Amino acid sequence: MTPRITILTLIFFLAVGASLFIGPTNIDPFSLDETSREILFSIRAPRVIVAVLMGMALGSSGAVLQGILRNPLADPYILGISSGASLTAALGIISGISFLGTFTIPVLAFSGAIATGSLVGMLGWQRRGLWPERLLLAGVGLSFLCSALLMLLMSVSRDEGLRRATLWIFGDLSMSEWPRVPYGMAFVFGGMIVAGLRARALNALMLGDEFAHSLGFTPHRERVLLFVAVGLMTAASVSLGGMIGFIGLLVPHMARFFVGSDSRFLMPASALGGGALLCVADLIGRSILPPMELPSGVVTAIIGAPYFLFLLRRKNVLAV
Amino acid sequence: MSSPSRQMILELGDVGFSYSRKDAFVTRLSFSVGEGEFIGLLGANGSGKSTILKLCCGILRPSEGLLSLWDKPLATYRNKDRAKLISYLPQTLDMNVPFTVKELVSMGLYPYDILPEMTADEALDLVGLSEKADSHITELSGGEKRRTFIAMTLLQGAGLILLDEPLANLDIRYQIELVRLLRRLRDKRNISVVMALHDINIALRFEKVMLIKDGKVFGMGSPAEVLTEGAIRETFGIGVKIMRQPDGKAYITYEEECDD
Repeated sequence: MTPRITILTLIFFLAVGASLFIGPTNIDPFSLDETSREILFSIRAPRVIVAVLMGMALGSSGAVLQGILRNPLADPYILGISSGASLTAALGIISGISFLGTFTIPVLAFSGAIATGSLVGMLGWQRRGLWPERLLLAGVGLSFLCSALLMLLMSVSRDEGLRRATLWIFGDLSMSEWPRVPYGMAFVFGGMIVAGLRARALNALMLGDEFAHSLGFTPHRERVLLFVAVGLMTAASVSLGGMIGFIGLLVPHMARFFVGSDSRFLMPASALGGGALLCVADLIGRSILPPMELPSGVVTAIIGAPYFLFLLRRKNVLAV
Repeated sequence: MSSPSRQMILELGDVGFSYSRKDAFVTRLSFSVGEGEFIGLLGANGSGKSTILKLCCGILRPSEGLLSLWDKPLATYRNKDRAKLISYLPQTLDMNVPFTVKELVSMGLYPYDILPEMTADEALDLVGLSEKADSHITELSGGEKRRTFIAMTLLQGAGLILLDEPLANLDIRYQIELVRLLRRLRDKRNISVVMALHDINIALRFEKVMLIKDGKVFGMGSPAEVLTEGAIRETFGIGVKIMRQPDGKAYITYEEECDD
């Protein structure tokens, strides 16, 4: 197990290094002049850290959700959290309000995410427990509603706001800046620590509630804890840079090839994989047609969708 | 019957339980399980076997009556402590996560902070699956899967094992092998086993059986006492004949024409 995690960690640092130093302007780390220092520390570094945080949050949330929902097709967005965030963020972008300066949109997105997440949680709650099927259906239902409202909002708006909102929805890392980093770190690492501490319970939940009970866990309590952890990580991720498709779905499946299904390894591996993939996607997105930037969500989806279809063709993969 | 000196592990006194507010599903259920006992739990579909097993391990909570484990109410145990004393194997092993056999068996150690002496390899050895340690559980046959979960349960180290129809979906060889394996383990480790099953011919070879009807104990004791033609007619609603082999062992055969 250790060598595989080491390989994954190496890939991760390679991806981070590449995204720091490669781009429309390549930077030589051994001879930094004033301009390249400025690009590296003020533009690239916060952007790469935000990409890493978002990718880690999405990757590990996907691994947790596929486990608690016992569904290999679950990803952090299936719970409607991202649609809620997109709706409030788009509302903010299009209306042009700015009560918190550059923090306005992230705060709006985070509030939207938490509000939808809580609503999904309430709808998934019945008979003193959080039920996977109810969570899933509530998430899908709310997701449709928020998407419809978002479409409505976008179809009645014009001008620059609409373009910016569209970019944001597909994942826009170009607005990344240092002040967002600490708060992103707090939620993402906080969520990962909670989920990591409950990794054994997650393994037991994957066997079914009765097994989990027999092994000494309280299934509903564990699900609530993990759901809150995932909710916070996803909300933080969406508010940092919009919606990035497929990482939450794709990366846990890839990580499973590397480290197997034990959540104690799968979660960190999915976090590393998610961070690495988003760094690379962002690198491609900003390097391929400079000075234009392709939204990272589009790049991950273009890589992700064919891979996902390939997974569908394979027999043993559709297992959580 | 259990000897009077046998230490009682699990005791139920007038336990009641209902799934809905209107109808009681289990009423005034009383029985006990002693150390080292191997009990077969029989009854028609819907008679309450699974419910009784789930009550015994705490998945379901009784609405009335007393349920104690080692002389202490079951509900007062911390989850982890309870898991060290009692383990439950559900009927359906609906397992689509590709855990390896060893990963799954090792989960038996989850209730422990200080690891017990037995290792996952030893548990796998006991069920004869050492060679499959690195196989994925999804690739195993029904019988191997069942034995993997038994190994996990053994590693969990509980003194009382409750199994809900562990013989379902197994061919006759695996059915008999599994019962023999559990019996050997009982002899070796003095664990108690309560197993729900449907095959009356297998139950006739048990030391003790419990027949359930409508959420109540219809009879408990040796198969010769409990599994009589009359009792089977009463609980399953079908006429059968209990026959004897030349060596005296009983077996069951059904009548071609059932009485109305």
